[in-house]
Amino acid sequence: MQKTEVPPRPAETVPEFSKASRQFRGGRALGLLFGTIVLFGAIALVSDTFLKPYTMFIIARQIAFSILIALSQAVCLVVGGMNLSVGAIGSMATVILGLCFQELKLNAWLAVTITLLFGVVSGAINGLIITRLRINSFIVTLSLMFVYMGLRSGISGGSPYTIPEDFGFIGQSAIFGVSWVFVLVCLILLATGYMFSHTIFGRHMLATGGNENAARLCGIATDSVVFRAHVISGFLAALAAILWASMIGSCAPETGDSWLIGSFAVSIIGGTGLNGGVISIAGIFLGGAIFVLINYGLIEIKANPYFANSFLGALILLAIVLDRVREIVGESKRKT
Amino acid sequence: MIASGTELATECLTLRGISKRFPGVRAVDNVSLGFYPGQIHALMGENGAGKSTLMKIITGIYQPDSGEMRFRGKRLAPRSYRESLAMGIDIVHQEIQVVPDASVAENIMLDKLAVVSSGGRVNWRRLYEQASVFMREVGLNLPPSTVVRQLSAAHKQLVQIARALAARATVILLDEPTSSLSLNEADNLFVLLDDLKKRGVTLIYVSHKIEEVYRIADTISVMRDGKLIGTRRSTELERRDLVRMMIGRDLREQRIGPTAVNEGKVVLKVETLTKTRKCRAISFELHEGEILGFYGLVGAGRTEFARVLIGEDQADSGSVYVDGEKAAIHRISDALFRYKIGYVTENRKEEGLFLGESVLTNLTLLVWKKMRHPVTRYISRKNEEDAAGKMVSALSVRTRSLADLAANLSGGNQQKISIGRWLLADCDILIIDEPTVGVDVGAKEQIHQLIWNLACIERKAIILISSEMAEIIRLSSRILLFADQQIIGEVSHLDDKSYTKVRDEIGNLLSAIH
Repeated sequence: MQKTEVPPRPAETVPEFSKASRQFRGGRALGLLFGTIVLFGAIALVSDTFLKPYTMFIIARQIAFSILIALSQAVCLVVGGMNLSVGAIGSMATVILGLCFQELKLNAWLAVTITLLFGVVSGAINGLIITRLRINSFIVTLSLMFVYMGLRSGISGGSPYTIPEDFGFIGQSAIFGVSWVFVLVCLILLATGYMFSHTIFGRHMLATGGNENAARLCGIATDSVVFRAHVISGFLAALAAILWASMIGSCAPETGDSWLIGSFAVSIIGGTGLNGGVISIAGIFLGGAIFVLINYGLIEIKANPYFANSFLGALILLAIVLDRVREIVGESKRKT
Repeated sequence: MIASGTELATECLTLRGISKRFPGVRAVDNVSLGFYPGQIHALMGENGAGKSTLMKIITGIYQPDSGEMRFRGKRLAPRSYRESLAMGIDIVHQEIQVVPDASVAENIMLDKLAVVSSGGRVNWRRLYEQASVFMREVGLNLPPSTVVRQLSAAHKQLVQIARALAARATVILLDEPTSSLSLNEADNLFVLLDDLKKRGVTLIYVSHKIEEVYRIADTISVMRDGKLIGTRRSTELERRDLVRMMIGRDLREQRIGPTAVNEGKVVLKVETLTKTRKCRAISFELHEGEILGFYGLVGAGRTEFARVLIGEDQADSGSVYVDGEKAAIHRISDALFRYKIGYVTENRKEEGLFLGESVLTNLTLLVWKKMRHPVTRYISRKNEEDAAGKMVSALSVRTRSLADLAANLSGGNQQKISIGRWLLADCDILIIDEPTVGVDVGAKEQIHQLIWNLACIERKAIILISSEMAEIIRLSSRILLFADQQIIGEVSHLDDKSYTKVRDEIGNLLSAIH
């Protein structure tokens, strides 16, 4: 029998390998940027105090917090799970920090280390139960959310802990007029972006969230990836709690009560896929900005604060609906 | 237009000048076709030839840009699937679409529950009675209350056909109905289709499998690049001509070429590998440059064995030697990174590809470690693009850019990427499971050539799992036959034997045990 030499068929369309990553996400970030600018402009027109340096300082710090909390949620969403205990870990971390300062009289470094360690351990507990026992992250983190919330109320009795005055440095002071918190969170955000686009661990997280079975068949230790995502999530939640305490100058146990819904809102507005595998760093930044600006705007127009949750819910829904509409339009465009 | 239609009744479904355009593509280009009652009309063509689009136009899922359809003398312009179903045109999709936790009867009568209920209350007895009529028609011998989840793929397919019958469909479109069926099950399906045909149902049958089309179709239409290439009576169309119509070039239905097995070098030795309900005392040797075919029916235990071998499932007993040394494979990363054993899955969509990720990521996933900067841990985008770009042109994957999502590629191109990933990973032993399922003829030929090159030129050792006899004979140096989770026979020295001789040997071995 003769060797059959079939030369590889030349590619029919000359592939032009564009550097641009996914256009879909690029388009989304542009839309968010536009939204941010419009909101910013609108508030600036209505308000006399908005453009003052101090307001800007406060706004930037608020944005930084919403980004940090959203990141804590997004790292879990990206691997195909979720972390409902984001706020509860924050609450518990606040109480632990308070105990370290007020009861144990520890120095700041030690107190912060112990608090961060709590974040890591709580994330590890989430991750272990989810991966070892194969229980859905929704139910695991929901249960632990209540566990932590009960603990923090029981331990603290609801009253705040006092902390040393100089601990407020990070949360209250600025460098060249920019909040330290904002600078720190931007660095964390950039590092996260680097991780997801250029490191193996970040891309393994995306792969695991995108298709866990395929990821496992590619030799990715998917359980370990999910576990580590939850550890990072717990760490970020505890970090947010520490910065929060530094900002307000005490350890208030109710810290974190509003974080859960905000963490989802910013993640989703920012384009983090609810089914895993998709995250946008620019999206989360702009999502955080929009989230804070809308809240500020509502105060500025003296909207009844009792309705705030309705606005928030509607905003999340709007973000999801807009995404879906884009998807449908995109699908009908590229059908062949 | 139709080669012969003298003895037939008039056309019941006529397409005239149907065109459908998507941005950049003429998916269906001026197609005119007639379908007759009591006929099985096969629609063939490569992936992307326009068959699926045409089916979707007939069933109202898409609307044509131009052209006209007539059904029983009346204009047919369904605006949705519901409208076409109401007129008696139904489609059985390739992906089985049933409600898994409902009973067989409910699945069949889903849209007719109102008929068997009074005052909003479902009368279960009447539901079961009516459903069992249609179940008998398709040969489903089960209690109507059986939950669909428990059924085999073949039975689910029958449920879908029964549903079409319950909808009083006189035109049934079948999209690759045998893709998840075993040979036996496919046989039963063909008997059923034949029966439906005799009762005057118009069957439109989309398939890649030449064998089965010849077996059951009366008429064959071939599409290519959106155009209708021709319609012939199946008895008057030579196989060679059919293939030429489909791909526009010749295809050899014989061995692809001689393999060059290095008998002296055993790269993989498996000894009595056993795992309850997965594999029973599997032993064999695999040599450098060899393509070892695993042939057997679906469920014979070939994939299950492969998964035990790569560490996805843990073996109960037995041992594995790689390059003469005992291998300890506890997880997939052991198999992949320590022993360089790769596994290309048969389910590219569920377990192979990251559909929401770019072509780039899908290809380079396994080699990031090599592209990483030691300190910054930065994966070089340029290296990635170089490697992926080379693979894309070597496999002639049709994609607009490396940033395109894998979900947007056709089945054949997806499969190429699914295999290409493992080629980049530079595995020494590659297990390729059903490499050409749901892939068109052109891509299939390219994938065959690729596998052969891997063994003969790059000197890899390949285990090829396939349920398609022609494929396994075409490529393998040696074939192991699987049944009931064990090896039941071997056909060796394929290079010295003719295609028909090998086929007969396999037939003898299989018939000896069944």
